[in-house]
Amino acid sequence: MIDVVDVIKTYRRGEQRVEALRGISCQIPRGACAFIVGPSGSGKSTLLYLLGALDRPAGGSIRIDGADLTGMSEADLNAYRRDHIGFIFQSFNLIGNLTALENVLIPFLPRGVSASLRDRAEALLDEVGLSDRKHHRPRQLSGGEQQRVAIARALIKDPVLVLADEPTGELDSKTGDEIYRILRRLQTERATTLVVVTHDRRFIRPDDLVLEIQDGQLLTDS
Amino acid sequence: MWRFAWKNLLTRPLRTTLALIGLSIPILGVLGLYSISGGLKNLVDDTLEKIQGVVVLRENAPSPVFSSLDPEYVERIAALPHVKNVAAEVWGFPPSVEGTSFMAKAASTELLGRLRGQTQQQRMQNLFDPVILSGQDIPAHQGLQTAVFANALLPPDQGGGRFLDHRDVGQNRIVISRKLARDFAGPDGQPKQVGDHLTIGSGDAAEDFEIIGIYDTGSMFLDGVMITDIDVARRILNVPDTMVSNIYVEADDPRRMSEVASAIEAALPDVDAREMDELSTDFTRLLGDLDKFLLMIVSLALLVGVVGIVNTMLMSTTERFAEFGVLRTNGWSRGDVLRLVTAESAYLGLWAGLVGSVLAMVLVALGNQFIGGGLKLVLGPGLLGFGIGLSVVMGVLGGLYPAWRASRLVPMDAIRLGAR
Ligand SMILES: Nc1ncnc2c1ncn2[C@@H]1O[C@H](COP(=O)(O)OP(=O)(O)O)[C@@H](O)[C@H]1O
Ligand SMILES: [Mg+2]
Repeated sequence: MIDVVDVIKTYRRGEQRVEALRGISCQIPRGACAFIVGPSGSGKSTLLYLLGALDRPAGGSIRIDGADLTGMSEADLNAYRRDHIGFIFQSFNLIGNLTALENVLIPFLPRGVSASLRDRAEALLDEVGLSDRKHHRPRQLSGGEQQRVAIARALIKDPVLVLADEPTGELDSKTGDEIYRILRRLQTERATTLVVVTHDRRFIRPDDLVLEIQDGQLLTDS
Repeated sequence: MWRFAWKNLLTRPLRTTLALIGLSIPILGVLGLYSISGGLKNLVDDTLEKIQGVVVLRENAPSPVFSSLDPEYVERIAALPHVKNVAAEVWGFPPSVEGTSFMAKAASTELLGRLRGQTQQQRMQNLFDPVILSGQDIPAHQGLQTAVFANALLPPDQGGGRFLDHRDVGQNRIVISRKLARDFAGPDGQPKQVGDHLTIGSGDAAEDFEIIGIYDTGSMFLDGVMITDIDVARRILNVPDTMVSNIYVEADDPRRMSEVASAIEAALPDVDAREMDELSTDFTRLLGDLDKFLLMIVSLALLVGVVGIVNTMLMSTTERFAEFGVLRTNGWSRGDVLRLVTAESAYLGLWAGLVGSVLAMVLVALGNQFIGGGLKLVLGPGLLGFGIGLSVVMGVLGGLYPAWRASRLVPMDAIRLGAR
């Protein structure tokens, strides 16, 4: 269960203050599939990043399964991101110097990769259909393949929450469909919570939760 | 993670290579500097080991050539307690040898050397120190235990001949070094041998000398000296018999050397009685000062090398902000990012150290081929280890600021910066 209460986020751009989120409150049940939609610049990514503990809100609180992100120490946030959150970006954000397999293992590189972790990473790459691409570099992979590596990376930690920021924004529609199929399948198999930012409502199903943002505020009627 | 850091360096080979050169050159400088000063120090120690008595000079005279003493001092020193041997010497630059004045010598030996097809090494050696004539009070020197040149005489089977003795008092006979024998080779290119003759002085003042002995101390500080009788040397050098250059003194027990030296300085206020280990410390101090000065220059070069690393690492971290954002998103802590970047620059430092060390080893080996005169550059494992260690430390220092900057980013900003 994600519990967002009155979250505010402001950026400073020189002298100017940009109010990206102006008091957002919402709840996303555990295991749900939620879509954040809205026009460009409305604050969708900001909300998603705050859920992923990539920054701290200026006000309000975010609780995930009872743990209050806003009150956590830096070290706790690191551990939280490492162990519980899977992130998928629009531009894949793989690391060019690492192979597909190593990219999946990134969360564990600083503390050492055990043989069982490596097996897990390989199994995940098999699951997303990249059995024969494990030792390729990102630039040797197509966009769809790169995004599948990113999905494997998000899932290796067995996350409680997977966050995706326009995961198909740089892919053609056929590949995009493929990515959503994989995301959906893995989400139901693992019963993780999935939150996706998109402005393509094509993928939204009737029983999904939809959060529509405009100007940093939630439109409640959707 | 170390492998990851390593790969990150290899991604930009040109930039990495440039930073590497920037740091390896000063490391080479440090190693070269220490190997030269270490070599010089060894040479000086070796040289001074051969002269174990006390050398009495005019106060503040830098060397016997620039010293003059009252000959009466010989008696006064001999009368002091624990003094065993006292031997007067006259030192000076001879006007010319074999018709060559020493201004012209450097140029002509270079030229002749080329004509004769001498090796670079031989010609380089010729350019070193000047020729010096030393006149010895022969009977007094015969009693010495530590007569440098007599002890360095080549063995008879290598054409060493004999040293000056009572038969040579007042005679135009001379002992020269193997180096001088080569320098003053005859027109056929044959080095001078015992029994050959040598002309000192020019015009009416020219005198003929018979070479009776050839020595080799192996030290370029000593091998420019020709030794003859003291009165003969006076005539050649125009030194009146109211002065001597220096007086060489031996104690009855080598351990009493400093006692004797102090006694001499107390009895004769206008002289310096120099013990060799004192000279050695003087020289070491001089070398130390030189070291410090050169070290300052090298430090500047090191600083430039470090700035190069900072610059390289700043460029490389700035263009990888998104990457650090991804790492942070995946749970890397600030410390992890800091360690990654520092590891990269430590690798840079390590490689710069290795490259600098290999260059230094090559240059020292080459240098030892070409530098003669007993100077052996030394580059031991300790020095190499120090060079590599220094380089790694420099690399780490150079990487700290870029690493800190990269680690300080808020993950969200890093991701957004990269996305643009
Ligand atoms: N680092 C930043 N500095 C200043 N303004 C920012 C920054 N990041 C985002 N913004 C602004 O915050 C608002 C919300 O941005 P974002 O969450 O990216 O919107 P969306 O993802 O819906 O397009 C936009 O007006 C954007 O310009
Ligand atoms: Mg966005």
